[in-house]
Amino acid sequence: MIFLKFDRRIFQYFDWTLLALVLGICTIGIINIYSAGFSIGERQIPLYLKQIQWVLLGSFFMMLIFLVDYRVISEGAYVIYGISVALLVVVLFYGYTTHGSQRWISLGGFSFQPSELMKLTVILALSRYFDDHKSNESYTLKELFIPFLIVLVPFVLILRQPDLGTALILMIIFASMVFFIGMNWKSFAVVLTGSLMLMPIGWHFLKDYQKDRLITFLNPENDPLGTGYHIIQSMIAVGSGGIFGKGFLKGSQTQLKFLPEQQTDFVFSVFAEEWGFAGALVLIILFMSLILWGMKIALHSRDLLGTLIAFGITALISWEVFINIGMVLGILPVVGIPLPFLSYGGSAMIVLLTAIGLLMNVSVRRFILQR
Amino acid sequence: MAVETKKWLKFRIVSVLLIFLVLFIALLSRAFQLQVLSGQKLKTLAQKQHTTTLQLQPERGVIYDRNGEKLAASILADSVCADPSKIADPVRTSRQISEILHLDNAAVFKKISEPKSFCWLARRISPEQAAHVEAANIEGIAVVKEPKRFYPNGELAAHMLGFVGYDATGLEGLEKKYNEVLKGKPEKVAWSRDAKGKKLFLRAENNETRKDENINLVLTIDSRIQYLVETHLQDAVLTKGAKGGTAIVMDPKTGEILALANEGRFNPNNIHGLTPEKWRNRAITDCFDPGSTFKPFLVAAALEEKVVKESEKFYCENGTFIVADRTIHEANRQRHGVLTVADILKYSSNIGSVKIAQKLGKEKFAKYIENFGFGMKTGIDLPGESAGLVRPVHKWTKVDAATVAFGQGVSVTAIQLITAMSAIANNGVMMKPYIVRGFADKNDRLIKVYTPTVVRTVVSPGVAKRLTGMLTEVVGAVDGTGKNARIVNVAVAGKTGTSQKFDFARGVYSSEKVRTSFMGFFPADNPQIAILVILDEPQRDKWGGVAAAPVFRNIGDQILNCFKTNIRETPVFEQEKTNKVELVSARETLISAGAAADDESVMPDFFNLTIREAMKKAKTRSIELRISGNGWAVHQYPQAGTPLGEERVCSVTFEVEN
Repeated sequence: MIFLKFDRRIFQYFDWTLLALVLGICTIGIINIYSAGFSIGERQIPLYLKQIQWVLLGSFFMMLIFLVDYRVISEGAYVIYGISVALLVVVLFYGYTTHGSQRWISLGGFSFQPSELMKLTVILALSRYFDDHKSNESYTLKELFIPFLIVLVPFVLILRQPDLGTALILMIIFASMVFFIGMNWKSFAVVLTGSLMLMPIGWHFLKDYQKDRLITFLNPENDPLGTGYHIIQSMIAVGSGGIFGKGFLKGSQTQLKFLPEQQTDFVFSVFAEEWGFAGALVLIILFMSLILWGMKIALHSRDLLGTLIAFGITALISWEVFINIGMVLGILPVVGIPLPFLSYGGSAMIVLLTAIGLLMNVSVRRFILQR
Repeated sequence: MAVETKKWLKFRIVSVLLIFLVLFIALLSRAFQLQVLSGQKLKTLAQKQHTTTLQLQPERGVIYDRNGEKLAASILADSVCADPSKIADPVRTSRQISEILHLDNAAVFKKISEPKSFCWLARRISPEQAAHVEAANIEGIAVVKEPKRFYPNGELAAHMLGFVGYDATGLEGLEKKYNEVLKGKPEKVAWSRDAKGKKLFLRAENNETRKDENINLVLTIDSRIQYLVETHLQDAVLTKGAKGGTAIVMDPKTGEILALANEGRFNPNNIHGLTPEKWRNRAITDCFDPGSTFKPFLVAAALEEKVVKESEKFYCENGTFIVADRTIHEANRQRHGVLTVADILKYSSNIGSVKIAQKLGKEKFAKYIENFGFGMKTGIDLPGESAGLVRPVHKWTKVDAATVAFGQGVSVTAIQLITAMSAIANNGVMMKPYIVRGFADKNDRLIKVYTPTVVRTVVSPGVAKRLTGMLTEVVGAVDGTGKNARIVNVAVAGKTGTSQKFDFARGVYSSEKVRTSFMGFFPADNPQIAILVILDEPQRDKWGGVAAAPVFRNIGDQILNCFKTNIRETPVFEQEKTNKVELVSARETLISAGAAADDESVMPDFFNLTIREAMKKAKTRSIELRISGNGWAVHQYPQAGTPLGEERVCSVTFEVEN
């Protein structure tokens, strides 16, 4: 029963830096959501209060998962994976629809987005698989077939919702982990050619609005009031912030609601408009520190499992931050990926904080575990 | 794990970190580019889409008369508008709305089923209807307040004021002429707008706070005089069975129009269904042959050119005079023998006038006609003025030259006629007629004042005086044609006129259809009031001296009684001996004029009152009058001062003074 053994050392070696970084970014997020929702006076509970509630709930899960040895958790990785995939199937049949896609299931008053959970579950499952199938050589295509299948099932399910952003994130995590674990060059070349050839075919499977987004990304002025609206308004917001920003609650793009999805996907424009380049710089440096810290944890883990888990989680956060901000700044196409810890959303916040709990878990156990 | 593995791991992690470092530096560069390099440009872009410029129209200016009485003002009225996109059940809604507002159901249904988010259903409805609409409480139907032009005195001065359309633009009269002034400059206000274009109550940065104030008009019109002119004109038109009529009161020294009325009134508060026929200001738009009222201008020309003297005698051919192929008669087939120039005016001899005109010569006569302002616009500040018609002198035939002498064959407007007459009253100096005295700001301070404008000197002061003398005889002499225009204790100068209307169907001047007129001014030695009265096609008393002159007298008399009480040589009422022009509204003054301030319980003194005045005075004490005769009261029974008993009856005998 090692997973229930309470060890004093997990507090002694607790990763305070990681907690401080994450809670610091969460606080910025709450303040920012307060501003984004400031002029929306219709809701009964202000969004920032709800976000505080999600942070508290997420912190609870963070602590819970922190207490249980990650190796124990890894034992149940496939079970958790199975449950997550089952939830995605449930969403496909019983989920409810907003903004044209079916992503949520209702859990007694709360709505939950299983695709967010899937991101963490896939990392756990892949880590478990690669840990179980250690190899001193680079992996071949054949050896990667099962890990690919692990990702492909939720990928297809999420794509059907449709939620291209989250589906892509799963693929990117898979690719990152494969790249990290090592793949032989021959296999890599095959995969690269294969996917390049598949691209035109994949184009036909995209929904019209997804095609529009990609076209718009290449030329936003093509349709400034339609598909290009989001990105143009976002760029105006960010740019008009200038060096030091317009000040808290003074972002006119935000307060006059020119920004689309300003508390979720485009929350960074709100921040950049009100705090300027200086604010954006500070936030990006905080994220970079978090990534650096996550990679340090991966590096110093005592076993491959811990390294893979820590790497996977850090890679997830890194890619989400990069893709979200890149999208807001108009250098990446608009795909629905939230900004970690800043975008409003319960599922994402709880899953991310749980993931941070796992990071802490790996971080602290290098002092406890014997080789 | 092996040491080699550890090294391998470190390499992998550092390379991944480097990749992310590059990616994040790319993000920062992009942020730098947007926020620092093109920040200013995007800031301007943001500001542009966050602000919207609104044009706030100030409330339309008020129109005041010369005493500060409101003639036109703006009030808020209810209008009904709809947001068709919010109407759930257009069929039911249109039925409900059309029922309340008495509108066509199909039209309402068509309006509210269009894919719009705004449309008007009814503008400026009554408060009761608005209350009904609000009570119905239909989603998508709203009642809003809109400014509405309101004319507190209804028909009073309507032809001058004109009216405004739904979009608050003046369409007629002063409302049209001074539309830009009354409307005021719209204030440009920058408002913040949100993404949906909704205007927010936060004013955007760098806003001008200057507010253009509305400008009010102050007229030369005295609404009290206007009221009595309209009343008397209406009376006369009714009693004489005329088709219409026009009256103008002017201050000859300044050109200020004190009153201007056309019979055939309309209420500018409700112009629905009215035709231009009704609202046309005939005093300035309609032309007619002036008839004998034209003769004084001929005599003025002849005197100024020293062609004739007052005492110079002309043989008037016993009523029949042939010029070329035309036989000229006197009015009413009168016959005159030898008449002096003064007599020609007094008896209004056509043949005498023709002879004066012949002696003067048509070129000279034409020059004076032009100088008196005929054939061109007077420039009065009202829209739609016509110039009249005076044919060029080289086209005049011998007959033309003769008939123009008694006002036939020229076409003039009422305003031209009184302006020319005023020139004689004003020592030969013609003033430009005007109706707007000035502009007042929001606090009723005058910010612009129009001063009287001299048009030109038409005749010398001496000639004007001499002509005035002769015109005084026209009214004052026992056998003068204008004797019906006499006003007690004031020397009136004036001239009658009856012009036959040209019958276009038959191509000749009609003898049944006439336009009878009287124009004059008083007091003759220092003229202060000029009045022109024209009755169109009166059925009774066709000849000028009989139909139009009494209207002139009644108007003049009441002006003297009520407003210009210092003019009369011997005031009629002792109690009214005051130099002050009282500033009370017309109706009140008219009543109090006859009410003596003596004891209520005794029989009043009716001596020297006109029938009208006596009746008013009697009415104030509920006394029944038994009237005999006409003119001024000379005898009454019971005598003044007799205590009033149960039977309040008084017999009063009136006689025309002589």
